[in-house]
Amino acid sequence: MKLSRRSFLSGSSAGALALLANPRLSAARGLVTEPTLDDLVKRALAAATKAGASYADIRVMRIRREGLSTREERVEQVSATEEYGVGVRVIAGGAWGFAATPNVTAAEAERVARDAVAIAKANAPLMKRPVALAPAPAHVDVWQTALTKDPFKIPLEDKAELLLAINREAMKVPGVSFATSQYAAIAEWKLLASTDGAYIEQEVVRLWPSYAVTAVDDKRGGFETREHDLPPRQAGWEYVEAAPLVADARRIGEEAVEKLKAPSVAPGRRDLILEPSNLYLTIHESIGHSTELDRALGYEANAAGTSFATPDKRGKLRIAAPFLTFFADKTTPGGLATCGYDDDGVATQKWNLVENGLFVGYQTTREQAGWIGEAESRGTSYGDSYGSIAFQRMPNVSLAPGPKPRSLEELVASTEDGIAISGRGSWSIDHQRFNFQFGGQAFWEIKHGKKVRMLRDVAYQANTIEFWNSCDAIGGPASWQLHGTLSDGKGEPGQINSVSHGCPPARFKQVNILNTNRRNA
Amino acid sequence: MQTPTEARRLLDRITTLVRATKGAEALVSIRSSREGNTRFAVSEISSSADVDRLAISLTVQIGQRAATASTNQQDDRSIDGLVASALRMARLAPDNPEGMPLLGRQSYAPAKNPADLATAKLTPDARAKAIGAALAAVEAGKVVIAGFLSHGNHSLALETTAGLSAYHAWTSCNFSCTARTIDGTGSGWAGQGSNRMADLDTAALARVAVDKATSSARAGKLDPGRYTVVLEPAAVASLLGYLTGAFDARRADEGRSFFSKKRPGDKLFPETISVRTDPSDPALTSPPFDSEGFPLATTRWIDKGTLTGLPYSRFWARKQGKPATGRFGGGRGGSVGWVLDGGSASPGELIKGVSRGVLITRFWYLRPVDPSTILVTGLTRDGTFLIENGAITRPVNNFRFNESPVQMLAHCDGLGSTSIPSGYEVGALRVPALRTHEFNLASISEAV
Repeated sequence: MKLSRRSFLSGSSAGALALLANPRLSAARGLVTEPTLDDLVKRALAAATKAGASYADIRVMRIRREGLSTREERVEQVSATEEYGVGVRVIAGGAWGFAATPNVTAAEAERVARDAVAIAKANAPLMKRPVALAPAPAHVDVWQTALTKDPFKIPLEDKAELLLAINREAMKVPGVSFATSQYAAIAEWKLLASTDGAYIEQEVVRLWPSYAVTAVDDKRGGFETREHDLPPRQAGWEYVEAAPLVADARRIGEEAVEKLKAPSVAPGRRDLILEPSNLYLTIHESIGHSTELDRALGYEANAAGTSFATPDKRGKLRIAAPFLTFFADKTTPGGLATCGYDDDGVATQKWNLVENGLFVGYQTTREQAGWIGEAESRGTSYGDSYGSIAFQRMPNVSLAPGPKPRSLEELVASTEDGIAISGRGSWSIDHQRFNFQFGGQAFWEIKHGKKVRMLRDVAYQANTIEFWNSCDAIGGPASWQLHGTLSDGKGEPGQINSVSHGCPPARFKQVNILNTNRRNA
Repeated sequence: MQTPTEARRLLDRITTLVRATKGAEALVSIRSSREGNTRFAVSEISSSADVDRLAISLTVQIGQRAATASTNQQDDRSIDGLVASALRMARLAPDNPEGMPLLGRQSYAPAKNPADLATAKLTPDARAKAIGAALAAVEAGKVVIAGFLSHGNHSLALETTAGLSAYHAWTSCNFSCTARTIDGTGSGWAGQGSNRMADLDTAALARVAVDKATSSARAGKLDPGRYTVVLEPAAVASLLGYLTGAFDARRADEGRSFFSKKRPGDKLFPETISVRTDPSDPALTSPPFDSEGFPLATTRWIDKGTLTGLPYSRFWARKQGKPATGRFGGGRGGSVGWVLDGGSASPGELIKGVSRGVLITRFWYLRPVDPSTILVTGLTRDGTFLIENGAITRPVNNFRFNESPVQMLAHCDGLGSTSIPSGYEVGALRVPALRTHEFNLASISEAV
């Protein structure tokens, strides 16, 4: 059922005109299924204002999840989850307050609005400066994931058969002992309205088929696992259909077996080629998190930490080699963090964080823009459920490709002695984003321009600024790939964010390689 | 939070609907909570919330086929939809040869006052007051403080069509804070969890964090290497969580675990090391049954340094001819309360026995590196000090470590009294501070 917004907008001819004039809205399918929500939204915002809120917004959110997990020849778990609820966020007395309920009725929405104001008032005496929001245009719009096949409408049997086919192929490889595969799809629908005039409906669909193959050495003991590198994506089922999951299963199995038999790496300094399936997470941890403004100013000090990229270093600190530019972009097609508007109702955008190696920009929300003298928010506010307070979360943060048409193979061919790494392994970085240590899924030794053999027990450890300044070559536009994660954590209570990172393969000179083998210790 | 009567009414409605389908069996769980939290940073409140939550989960089994559907909506239409969805998916799901029959009636050890009325009724005003007390501990102009106070009133109810009925209600609360010196050269942390808000002295914890921040300021350089370390409870809990997460018989039997080459009776650690799961400890806030309703008993997995056994799921126990122990919730505390027994040493005594070593307050960003040895990497944070000749002599830089909780316990020669540290990356474990040797502080972290 399509919702009429006329009731919400009645009395506002300018709003109604904007509604008609907006090309995206006129083309939209209309996603709201509960026409009573108009009334609920209006009443909750009115209740907050009446109770003393100087600003209020309401998010009605429905999250649907579907999951399958298998091992070898059997399906272990089939699940479908639905979560629905309403949260009201207010500013009263200069402090934030938030309350939420799964009972999506007008009376409950009014109740949580009043509770949110009471919470804000309880906290107001402990505020040193009142919360102030940067101005933002009042958008009325609908936005949704561009997809051709709704993954929730694909029969369960098809999904189970795909996963079991992957396992069958992988298990054909001699030496493979176990194969596990999973499928997850998440549809996140949300209606956001605020006393500043925002009225925005969005639905984001994300999915991720994944698998891992394990080889066990029964004689000597020990085991190695190789995961497929396919990233999660904002997309429809067509993404799964186009992915070479079954086609790759034997190779993934063979690499698990080869990894188990591979020589343990010799520690020391080596040139390193990181494929996009590995480099994306290094970007996430060292560039993405360090340029979150709340972190840089101490708002995450008790949890996710602070950052080396403090405001006094903006425009001065050379984070990376001069040919490297990192950009934030909540509009990247297929990006996990891509959407039309953030949870402050600000239109999403693209901007540079590191320009030609120089630290230049932050991720901000309406609350934060003024903290560094910026007039407008960058649009990065997000709350991961109806019951979660929206706060600054990472947009897609990507490394721009080099101008030359250089491939991964060419990077390898021009490397005399090094290691190439693909896939996500163990990862860890300190609470100010200096010292990191990353593993991977597959490691190859490079000698005289060729990948000669696999290695095992590899991790690379470096300091963010030294590492990015040691980069001497990156791939061109055709080598750029979008990878990402569904489980970026931040905040207290902890919230999850989905975010993509695009990058070309890149080479780093003389990076510290560790051997992680303690099996004989 | 649902009362037993409210939960029972909903559970009965769902199981009755499932029974209407021939051959269908059901396991239903209802989790409900009211949670409150307040966050502060830069010495003022940054966010605060009261949130009601509900999770109704229905697993339908039809022969060897099974599927699970969940919702947080309890109106009739949603419940009808939940049942229809679970039934439809279960019919479509392929056979799972490992499916086990649902459990019937069970008896559970009575919980010892897990729910605390005062904690259940905590208001936003009381939260603001508790945080005001923490902020008052800060001397203006020297440090800034950030932290988090959360509390919850929870219930979990289970029912099966085979006659199982379980209900557990509890409260929880956690407070942690990080103080940083204004010049950014010192940082300190303190945090604690319980099921009773009366146990948490926010002002005292804030004073610990402030003291650590000021005494860790302008740290000097210490080279990486293998050191004797005194680990405070938060550091012990976060690293130990990777060992408790490895306790699983099936992975061991399949050859993909640290425990694959170990057998019950193997002596892994010194006599002083005993590790158990303890659902009877109310402050650990874990229910006395697992997700299938299987009763969880207090079990000693490491007794005086010796491995006594590993947990078996019902399927794996049947296959291997062993008694089942219930399904555990994985690492970092999981759904079961883990305890590392303490000793008699005071913090001062642990330090006194060190000729040259490092005192570590807590760890950060721990990640598994090699599951076959439970090698974990991570970093020290918020209070790292050099110990020389039995006394703390100066603050030192932070380190990245590469070490296994197995080695932490194997080299342990001193244990303090236990507590439940709580904070980011610290699961609900009851652990002591401990002294251990040859701890691999692998590289320097510039982070403060």
